[in-house]
Amino acid sequence: MLEAAGRNLLDPVILFFVLGVLAGLIRSNLEMPQPIAKFLSLYLLVAIGLKGGTTLAVEGLSASGAMAVLAALIMAVSVPIITYGVLKRLVDPFNAAAVAGTYGSVSAVTFIAAQQFLDKNGIPFGGYMTVAMVLMETPAIILAVTLVTLLRAKQAVAPVSLSAAAADQPSVIPALSIGRVVYEALTYGGHVLLVGSLVIGFVAGAPGQDAIRPLFSDLFKGILAFFLLDMGLLVGRQFGDAEFRLEYVLTAFALIAPPLYGSLALLLARVFALAQGDAVLLAALSASASYIVVPAILRYAVPEARPGIYFTMALGLTFPFNIIAGIPLYHAISELLWR
Amino acid sequence: MRPLEDKKLLTLIAPIELQRMLIDTLKRREIGGYTLVPCTGAGTTGLRSGMLGVDSNVLIYVIISEQRLQRVLEDMDTLMRSGYRVKAIVQDIAIMPRKVTAEGAQNAD
Repeated sequence: MLEAAGRNLLDPVILFFVLGVLAGLIRSNLEMPQPIAKFLSLYLLVAIGLKGGTTLAVEGLSASGAMAVLAALIMAVSVPIITYGVLKRLVDPFNAAAVAGTYGSVSAVTFIAAQQFLDKNGIPFGGYMTVAMVLMETPAIILAVTLVTLLRAKQAVAPVSLSAAAADQPSVIPALSIGRVVYEALTYGGHVLLVGSLVIGFVAGAPGQDAIRPLFSDLFKGILAFFLLDMGLLVGRQFGDAEFRLEYVLTAFALIAPPLYGSLALLLARVFALAQGDAVLLAALSASASYIVVPAILRYAVPEARPGIYFTMALGLTFPFNIIAGIPLYHAISELLWR
Repeated sequence: MRPLEDKKLLTLIAPIELQRMLIDTLKRREIGGYTLVPCTGAGTTGLRSGMLGVDSNVLIYVIISEQRLQRVLEDMDTLMRSGYRVKAIVQDIAIMPRKVTAEGAQNAD
């Protein structure tokens, strides 16, 4: 177990992430040109979607795969409910709802890192886990917006009811129904690209994969290293430059919640008799938090919440924790449970 | 030379996620002309590095008359009271108009 954790830390991809964090912390002027950084994130989404779709086409959706997807949906609903239940007693309820939405959703990069870890340790996993990841993205944001709507009704806060306007003039604030929020989540560029790549991988199957293997398989790890260097820079700068400082309780939550949710996912996976590789991926997904799609939606759907809280927790604390320590930890726990 | 016209320059600084909402708000006030500049920075909500695409800000420049400015500022006030993180900066400016009115042309003579 320790050997696997050590191998993870010495993986060049992880080392590039650490280098990025250090460069950010020491305020190095190392920069990744923004268009290249955006390209790298799009590339990774296409690669992960194609890989999942192709594997799904070759293997099909087994009963075990269906159970894995069901377990993913259970975790996608449970994590935001637990998060909100815990945090509403500790922080402002709007912030608690926003954090619940962030932690209920998932980080695709953490998922990719977990896949790399499993590949390196020779542990197989199903292509349907990419479907599971896609399905885990949205329930939390729906729950968070529902919670916020209930909070607004309870507090009778007029301006954020999103419909309050003088009768003689149109409302400044757009009507944000749950349906609209779901629409925004599903049409988000990264989501469209991921789902589209998954479908293309499924339709094209193995022969299609062969044609694009040089770009999306052979170069994958090198490009992931470059992307994680950029992510590390972002994490380091988040700490080095920001005026904003998290409360201790939220810092503690951002570091304690991932292993708890990861463990819960592993137990659920054991009950559902999932394969070990699928279980570790489910744990990594459940332990991760969205720092792109959900924060982007929360910015306009929940203006009462402070972006500095949910964004910093997800990106600055939970993401590096999972990349460096979380994934090997979930693997170690799975070794005990699946032995 | 065509005479200069007194106008107001409204500069809005907001998270890029609010760009569409702000443009819609301006359009409701029949303001269709604006200039957008993506930008980065930092503030009380943390660093907006622009590295993720979503963690960036946008500058929206609008050249506007004083009467219309008041209505837009009321809209911005409503948004800010609702919790949206928008900065509105107003400056007095003079512009060289593209279209010269008859009155302006007379003054120029």
